[in-house]
Amino acid sequence: MTDQKRVVIVPCSGIGKTYGSVSREAAYDVTQDLRAETTQLVPLSLLVLGDAQARAAVADTQAITIDGCKLACATKMVKDSGGTVAKDYAVLDVYRRYKQFKPQGIAELNEGGQQLAHALAREIAQEVDALNGGQHG
Amino acid sequence: MPEFLEVAVDKFKFRVATDRFYTREGLWALAEGYQVHIGLSDFLQQRSGDIAFAEIKPVGTKLAVGDEVAAIETIKVNIALSSPIDGKVIEVNPEMDTAPEAINQDPYGAGWLAVIAASAWETDRAQLLDPQAYFVVMKAEAEEEAKKL
Repeated sequence: MTDQKRVVIVPCSGIGKTYGSVSREAAYDVTQDLRAETTQLVPLSLLVLGDAQARAAVADTQAITIDGCKLACATKMVKDSGGTVAKDYAVLDVYRRYKQFKPQGIAELNEGGQQLAHALAREIAQEVDALNGGQHG
Repeated sequence: MPEFLEVAVDKFKFRVATDRFYTREGLWALAEGYQVHIGLSDFLQQRSGDIAFAEIKPVGTKLAVGDEVAAIETIKVNIALSSPIDGKVIEVNPEMDTAPEAINQDPYGAGWLAVIAASAWETDRAQLLDPQAYFVVMKAEAEEEAKKL
């Protein structure tokens, strides 16, 4: 992929929260492994701080947000930054689809949390492909 | 539509519906004859957090006061909920399978858990708190929780 803009992934920044950790693990999985060539991670904290580069990144392309709780900070900040949210994921809703992966832990997720993050990452990767016209990479 | 007692503690607002009875733990019981709807109080659902799953004992289950009637898994905790009355489960809210977040969104309405056919409602009701009494208990707990923030 050369000319296509990268899909921006913005996870929850909830430090010290299990569901926030799941969102970030999923984002790393997508942007560093599953779809490294077609996605870009933008930290929510930079958007909150008004970082010009981060704001430009979300304003310039489609974003997928991953929220750890119903406050939905990632989704709200992308919209407030002038971005377009193509798809927003809530970790709790994802967990309801994968009840067997019970997330626990904060600094280090348990096995269930890791598996939930991977499951979420796979869903996001498919969404990225759909946004790119069904193409992978 | 019930009326409510309300209190604001820190940044949170808690409501107690005035048309039903409560356990000290925060389950409510609303009787229509001897059929009693049960559910979580606003304070209990807010303190417990966003609900991921709610498993209610199936229709036909016989319960004594204190028996587990439901298990709730939230983003914070797993809690076992004790039946406020003696009786038999005759209906389970179907929303609990597909949309347990109804408990968070509408704890006194769409978020009801089950209907129990009470076997000793008059006796059991006497052991429950009226709304004013529960409001006092709830407010004290909420203020205690706020000190930990």
